[in-house]
Amino acid sequence: MISYWQAIVLGLLQGVSELFPISSLGHSVILAQLLGWNISANSNFFLTFLVGTHFATALVLLGFFWTDWVRIVKGLGRSLRDREIADPDARLAWLLIVATIPAGILGLTLEHKLRSVFTSATSASIFLMLNGVMLYGAELLRRRAPTDEAGDPDARIAERVGWPQTGAIGAAQSVALIPGFSRSGAAMGGGLLVGLSNIDAARFAFLLATPIIFAAAVLKLPDLFGSTGDGVRGQTFVGAICSAVTAYLAVRFLMRFFHTNRLTPFAIYCLVAGFASLLYFVS
Amino acid sequence: MKRAITLAAIVLGIVLIVVAIVYWVEPAKSLPGFFPGEDSHSTTHHVKHGIAAFLVGLALLAFAWFYSAPKKTKPAA
Repeated sequence: MISYWQAIVLGLLQGVSELFPISSLGHSVILAQLLGWNISANSNFFLTFLVGTHFATALVLLGFFWTDWVRIVKGLGRSLRDREIADPDARLAWLLIVATIPAGILGLTLEHKLRSVFTSATSASIFLMLNGVMLYGAELLRRRAPTDEAGDPDARIAERVGWPQTGAIGAAQSVALIPGFSRSGAAMGGGLLVGLSNIDAARFAFLLATPIIFAAAVLKLPDLFGSTGDGVRGQTFVGAICSAVTAYLAVRFLMRFFHTNRLTPFAIYCLVAGFASLLYFVS
Repeated sequence: MKRAITLAAIVLGIVLIVVAIVYWVEPAKSLPGFFPGEDSHSTTHHVKHGIAAFLVGLALLAFAWFYSAPKKTKPAA
């Protein structure tokens, strides 16, 4: 079972690590093992707890990008009515849909299998290091960073991301089903590789995250209110509030951070934290 | 050719949505043998299989909707 104290710590951690490109699931697995908590990433009560924290994070993202989402939904409506994708808002709406389909299908089909195979803190440490390599690789392999970015960021994203590329970025997010790899990291890295600036890649990653995290949470809401939620509902509520607070601070921080900074500090953190925890677990 | 592709997308989209409904209402033991996830001893419902089929079905219908749209001529400047 999970205590209120553990719920607060894991909720605070979840809100930050879900949006920072450093793997929330990997951090939960590693931290629980480091602190000697008997919490498995595969246990029913932990998965139920994650429903609440994910739902809170998705709500924060929806609220933070509310004006973008209103424009995107209106653009989607216009494109369906006119049977053409004529403006940037409509194009961005369809880019998000095309990216969400492979991510959703891969998530639905692979989630249980991957989570049951890679449950150990040791494997999470190794994958956290690989996440660092992935982030650093994306920075290295990117085309020249765009400079003097002015105007509407959503329009820039809609202009620079192509259909196959958005599908690939969407599918790449599925790597986060493995504890240690980061969904937002995969999406940001993909955004960099197709020519987005760091700030636009982060914005695209957060817009992509909202429907995916919402869908994953809504799909498992019956677990929270069913028998598997018995004994963990209060802790989930507390964890969700903590997660919402840190998620808001995280997205606010990152949207400023990426104006002038790159993924490199997160890559270094993942490499160092993954290596240190791996040494600790194997020694 | 355009008409055939549109028709194929519509038919496949509808079939996949029907498949999704079958997944949602029938337990694994009652699914047709050629359905992935069919298990003669299981009473669980493959909700996720249904969602995946539904999503792909919707995507095909959306594709047909845009693909079959009449070409709009831009007014001369």
